[in-house]
Amino acid sequence: MTTSDYIDAGEAIEQGRLSGKVAGGEVAPPVTENLTYERILDARNEPENWLTYYGTYDGQRYSSLDQINTGNVQRIGPAWIFQAGVSGIIAGTSTYSFEATPIVVDGVMFLSGWDGWVWALNARTGQEIWRYKHAVPFDVSLCCGNVNRGVAVAQGKVFFVTANAHVIALDAATGRRVWDRTYGDVRAGESGTLAPIVVKNLVIVGSSGGEFGVRGHLDAFDLDSGEHQWRCYMVPKPGEPGSQSWPADGEAWTRGGGNCWLTGTFDPETNLLYWGTGNPAPDFDGAVREGDNLYTDSIVAVDVDAGQIRWHYQCTPHDVWDYDSMSECILFDRDGRKLLAHFDKNGYLFVLDRTTGERVSITPFVDRITWGAITRDGQVTPKIYPQDEGVPVHFYPGPAGAKEWTHAAYSPKTELFYVPVQDVGATAARRRREFKEGIPYWGAGVSVDIDEAVGYISAFDADGEEKWRWRNELPMCASVLATGGDLVFAGEPSGEFNAYDARTGELLWQFQCGSGHHSSPVTYLVDGRQYIAVPVGWGGWAEGFLPGMLGAGHGSALIVFALPEETPSRGL
Amino acid sequence: MTTMHERDTLLENLGLDGQNKAALGKVLNTGNIAQAAEDEDGRMSATIRINRDEICWDPSILVLPHGGDLDLEIINDDQNTHCALLPSNGDRKFIWLVNHSKGRASLNLDGPGYYWYSSPSGNDEGRGLTGVIVVLGDVPPEARLDRPDQPRP
Repeated sequence: MTTSDYIDAGEAIEQGRLSGKVAGGEVAPPVTENLTYERILDARNEPENWLTYYGTYDGQRYSSLDQINTGNVQRIGPAWIFQAGVSGIIAGTSTYSFEATPIVVDGVMFLSGWDGWVWALNARTGQEIWRYKHAVPFDVSLCCGNVNRGVAVAQGKVFFVTANAHVIALDAATGRRVWDRTYGDVRAGESGTLAPIVVKNLVIVGSSGGEFGVRGHLDAFDLDSGEHQWRCYMVPKPGEPGSQSWPADGEAWTRGGGNCWLTGTFDPETNLLYWGTGNPAPDFDGAVREGDNLYTDSIVAVDVDAGQIRWHYQCTPHDVWDYDSMSECILFDRDGRKLLAHFDKNGYLFVLDRTTGERVSITPFVDRITWGAITRDGQVTPKIYPQDEGVPVHFYPGPAGAKEWTHAAYSPKTELFYVPVQDVGATAARRRREFKEGIPYWGAGVSVDIDEAVGYISAFDADGEEKWRWRNELPMCASVLATGGDLVFAGEPSGEFNAYDARTGELLWQFQCGSGHHSSPVTYLVDGRQYIAVPVGWGGWAEGFLPGMLGAGHGSALIVFALPEETPSRGL
Repeated sequence: MTTMHERDTLLENLGLDGQNKAALGKVLNTGNIAQAAEDEDGRMSATIRINRDEICWDPSILVLPHGGDLDLEIINDDQNTHCALLPSNGDRKFIWLVNHSKGRASLNLDGPGYYWYSSPSGNDEGRGLTGVIVVLGDVPPEARLDRPDQPRP
């Protein structure tokens, strides 16, 4: 047989064409064409949709929908399930996790998965409309699993980041790539995991890679063209404001950390983004970076037009416990004052004036805090920390924090914050290492407690007074959703998805989803029916927040719940 | 202990270089390595094939000088049917490869990094038909950190 005898196998096709789609069904209706900045600003008045990462710019993760409420939540059940699974070799094959927040616009759901997946789904039926799969190198540097926390949608486009630090715009109707920009250096250990936020004509993203000794940054891109608009570094260069908090000589600032690896919030009246920054690097070896290490572990207020820091508040100066302050800043008003609330990894709830950064209150929200103490007037006193080479020390909370990245919620109806709490300790021994680009740069050997790891969902008022607590035998590692039906939803690591009475904490409903929760549930309405959607898929940095469940099964399902549909009478 | 130049001999002596010899399949990525060609405008091209009874991509490691577009010729010289699942931005590419067939694929990849490709039929992937595309190069200058050059391993 000669080469001329070869059978022509043709041209390789996109794998998605072999997914059972009906011809013509791969185009989404143009629901996002008129999704403008003004509509996202007013998202609270579109409770049928979940238009931006936190539902609204204020980060409250609250929906006024009340069709599902304390009186009928016991009757909800699965309406549909979407599964994608994993095939082949992916970065962090054993640690991928489904951490996304779904976005819903007028009956279409836009959802990201792990390893570069994005889907448009029919939000009523779960049917896949289109898919986009970015090819992600399997050797990309990831500290904490192959994860992605969601997309942003506006003006006919879907925006997301990839594990190899690209920010990509897709056509929301077809899933085709419109523009693609690289915003991080994978050789330096940078990656992308957060959901972008769209403000005005900007797509704003932050960098991941805090365990690799990088220099954290926020970036803004033009929504239409993808043109880069500004970059804001979270570690100043010598001579810049804040640089005095780093050693005057040496290169500590060049690898200082401060990554912006979780989505920020926005107040149109102050024109400020409120963004939490990550740990300094090396995480646990503070002796090589004397000083407060600004703007790591800080809440920074960034002018959205200029991309410049207007004020900051540092929650853990000179951190040596890996206490990122990346968690959300929930915006709320009280007694005519514009405030923000931030539950920090270090175990304290910070309430600040969001116009100035002035401290309003500081309150512990977890039972066990041994690393140090912060007084109500903001004085920080470290007590236990890795100091002497090779000498282990044990402290609470562990490096995943009393609350990890998963989000709290705030109900303006009950005026309560609902926070998922991880009461877990860890042992760390300083182990100095030479910095090399692209290599993990922790400066310690660390092991998180398997025993005595517990958790709870707590409700706090704005004064920091705990109103109720639902205790769990495992840490609570998933985001909370609050609704106008006086309900709070939260998932457990062991797979249960729970609904609580928002006023009392009573557990009203529970469903075993088959895998642990490490994502952010949302709610929406299509054709008059309210749905609760929760991505389910255990994984990520489990060795950090719950090593006792490192062996738990993975999952990769989006499960959507609703009340039973009215069934036609049988004429009996 | 062996050295690199003895590697092929040792694989053969141990029976790790083929089907149903020492073990059941051929050890992954013990096949050939090759570089893609590049034309004047930076577009790249290469051929990968499955040789008769080898249950291995040839090359099993394909090296690209940089990210971008790759035109691939894919040949199945085996006496069994296989297929190819290939990485590409937008969606993975799939092609069915009956015995003694030849097809094409156009891929778009970022760089730098490693990407897998395989024949996802039966257990071709585990028996030897999993390969790697290696993309060399750096990210664009505008994506790099504003800091002095840092030491690398």
